[in-house]
Amino acid sequence: MISAALAWTFERTGVDKIWEALFARHIPEAKGPVAWLYALGSATLFVFTVQAVTGTLLAMNYVPSPDHAYDSVRFIGSEVYFGRFIRGLHHWGASFMVVLVALHMMRVYFMASYKYPREATWLAGVGLFLLVIGFSFTGYLLPWDQKAYWATMVGANIAGQTPFVGSYVSKILIGGAEMGAATLSRFYALHVLVLPALTGGALVLHLFLVVWHGISEPPKRVEKGS
Amino acid sequence: MAWAIAGISAAIGAVLGGSGLGYFISPAFAKREEEWVDLGSVKEFKANVPLKIDFTSRKRDAWATVEKRASAWVLTPNGRDFIAFDPKCTHLGCPYRWDDSQKKFLCPCHTAVFDVDGRVVSGPPPRPLDRFSTKVVGGRLMVRPSSGGEAAA
Amino acid sequence: MSDWHASYRERYKKLKEAGKPFFPHTVFKDALVAALLLAVLSWLAWHHGAALEDLADPTDTTYNPRPEWYFLFLFQALKFFPGHLEAVAAILLPGLGMGFLALLPFFDRGPERHPFDRPWLTLTGIGALAGFAGLTWAGYNSPLTNPIVEKDPVALEGQRIYRDLNCSYCHVLGGRGGKVGPNLDLALGTRDELWLTKHFRDPQSVTPGSTMPKLNLLDDEIHSLVAYLATLGGGPFTSEAPKLFAENCASCHMVKGKGGDMGPDLSLIGSAREKSFLRLYVSDPSKINPSSSMPGFAGQLTDAQIEDLSRYLASLR
Repeated sequence: MISAALAWTFERTGVDKIWEALFARHIPEAKGPVAWLYALGSATLFVFTVQAVTGTLLAMNYVPSPDHAYDSVRFIGSEVYFGRFIRGLHHWGASFMVVLVALHMMRVYFMASYKYPREATWLAGVGLFLLVIGFSFTGYLLPWDQKAYWATMVGANIAGQTPFVGSYVSKILIGGAEMGAATLSRFYALHVLVLPALTGGALVLHLFLVVWHGISEPPKRVEKGS
Repeated sequence: MAWAIAGISAAIGAVLGGSGLGYFISPAFAKREEEWVDLGSVKEFKANVPLKIDFTSRKRDAWATVEKRASAWVLTPNGRDFIAFDPKCTHLGCPYRWDDSQKKFLCPCHTAVFDVDGRVVSGPPPRPLDRFSTKVVGGRLMVRPSSGGEAAA
Repeated sequence: MSDWHASYRERYKKLKEAGKPFFPHTVFKDALVAALLLAVLSWLAWHHGAALEDLADPTDTTYNPRPEWYFLFLFQALKFFPGHLEAVAAILLPGLGMGFLALLPFFDRGPERHPFDRPWLTLTGIGALAGFAGLTWAGYNSPLTNPIVEKDPVALEGQRIYRDLNCSYCHVLGGRGGKVGPNLDLALGTRDELWLTKHFRDPQSVTPGSTMPKLNLLDDEIHSLVAYLATLGGGPFTSEAPKLFAENCASCHMVKGKGGDMGPDLSLIGSAREKSFLRLYVSDPSKINPSSSMPGFAGQLTDAQIEDLSRYLASLR
C-alpha cells in the first residue's frame, strides 16, 4: 500500500530522481580538517535562509518611512514577542553572511577550485558576493538611526566619487539630491525585492553548477617532472 | 547518521520556528490599552437627556500615535451616575441619533429603535447599545472608549 | 593549452565514484556546522541584540559616523588619499579588486591547484587579506573626533513630539518659530516641571484664557516633552551659579560683554550646546577637546556646583 503510493508519487513527480541527483551523488573524499572547509558554502546558504526567514518577519512590522521607521524598529524590539531576538538574529546574521561568503571565497581562491570546468560557478559566486555587499549596504539604513543615516551618507558620498558621473550615481543611489524619505523607500525596495530576486536567480545557478560539475577535490601538489 | 541529521535539523527548526512563530502570533496577545478621555464637567449634563459628545483621543497604534476622533452618547439619570453609549448601532454599526419627541434612539439604516437606556425597542439589533466605561474624577466625566463597547456592560 | 581538461575529467570521475554519497556524510557535516552557527547567532542575538542608536538627525554636528566593520577598511583607506585622488581609493581600487576576482579563472588557467604551486596568487591573496585586516584594525582604533555625549532617549522622544505637533508654528525655540505663543527661548526656565505637566494636560488649567489648544497628549508623551524642554534650558539653576561663573570663568570668558577674552565668548553657548555636554566640558575639557588650554574644574568645584554652573550656561542663549 505504502510502496504503491510512493511509486505513484515518484512516477508523477520524479522526486526519487531528484533525490538521486542531489543527495545520492558522490563527493570526492576530503580527508582531515580540510573536509570542514567544504561546509562553508552550505553554511552560507543556511545563514541566508535564516536571513530570509527573520527578514520576512521583520518586514511585517517595519515601515520604510522616516516618520515611522525608527519607531517601528523600536516597537519590534520592545513590544513584539521574540522581536528583539529575531532582529538580533538578522543583525548578526548579516555580519555572518559577509564572513562566511568571504571564507568560502577564500577556500575556493586558495584551492583554485574556480579552474576548469568550474569557471561559471565562480562567476555566479562573485555575483553572489556583490549581492551580499548590496544587502549589507541597503539593510544598514533601514533602522533610520544615527549610525544608519551617517554611514549611508558616507557610502553615498563614496559612490559620488566616481569619475565624471559621480553626482548622477549618488543621486540615483539615494533617490534624490538629499537623503530622506525617497532614500529609505528605495533602499527598502532594493533590500526586500530587487536583491532577493537577483540572489535567488544567482543562487539557483550557482547550486545547479555545483551539482552539475561535482564538488572539486582537494588539490594535490603537481609532481615534479610530470 | 540520518537520525543525527534529523535531530540536528529538528533543533534548528525548533529555535528558528519557535521564535518565528512566537513573533508571528504575538499580536494575538497584545494588550489593548485604552486611555480615559475627559468629556467635560458633570454639570453640563441634564438628567435623562442624552447628549452627544465629540472628542479627540490620542492613541497608540502599534509604533505610531494617532489622533482618533470619536463620540459618545452620554446619559445621566441624576447627575451623579453616568452611562456612555458607543455611538454605533449594535446591528451593523450605523450612527444612530436621539429623537427628542419620541424619547428614543433611532437608527437610520434598518429602522432600529432603542430606549433611552439602550434597550432594543424594535428592529434587528441583537443586543442593547454598547456602553463605554465611565468614571467621575474631580467633577469631570471620564470615559474609556473601546470599539465594540465593554462587552460585559 | 587545454590538453589537461580531458585527463582531469577522467581523474575526477574516478575520484567521485570512490567518494561517499552526499547524504548522509556531507549533509551531516553541514547540519553540524549549521547548528553551531545558529547556536552562536542565537547567543549573540539573545545577549547583545541589535543596537539601535538615536533617531537619525541630519542636523547633528557632533556625531561620529562609522561604517559597519566590513566597510571600515574602505573608510580608513580614504584617509590616505588626498582629495583629488580620492576616487582612486573609493572607486578604482574596489573596482580593480572585483575585476580581478571576476577575471581570475580566465587568466589562471593551468592545471596547478595547490596553493604552493601558484605562489604569486597565493601571496596576492594573503597580501590582500593582510591589507584588509590592517586597514580594518587601523579604522577600528582611529580616535573619535567628536566627543560622545549621551543623550536622554526620553528627551529625544520629546524632541520628536515637539516636531510632530508643529509646536514651532506658534512658538519660537532655538531662534526659529512663530510668534503666536510665548517665545520658549525666553520663557523656559521660568516654569517648573509640575507647571509644564499641568500645562500640557490642559493649558487653560494653568493659564486661563490661553489660546493654546488642548492636545490630548498621552501621559508618557507629556513626560517626554517636559524632559525635552528641561534639557534645553538645562533645568533651574540657583542664584549661586552666576557668582560661580564670575569667580571661576569670567577671567577668560565673556558673557554679554563682561569678562576676559582668553577663551570663547559664551553669551550664546546655550543655543549651541546641551547641558550634558557643558557639564562634561566644565569637568574636564581635555576629554572633549585635547588641545584646549582650559583647566578642568572637576577637583575645584563640587559635582553639585558644576551641575549648577552647566545649567546656568545652558540657559545662555
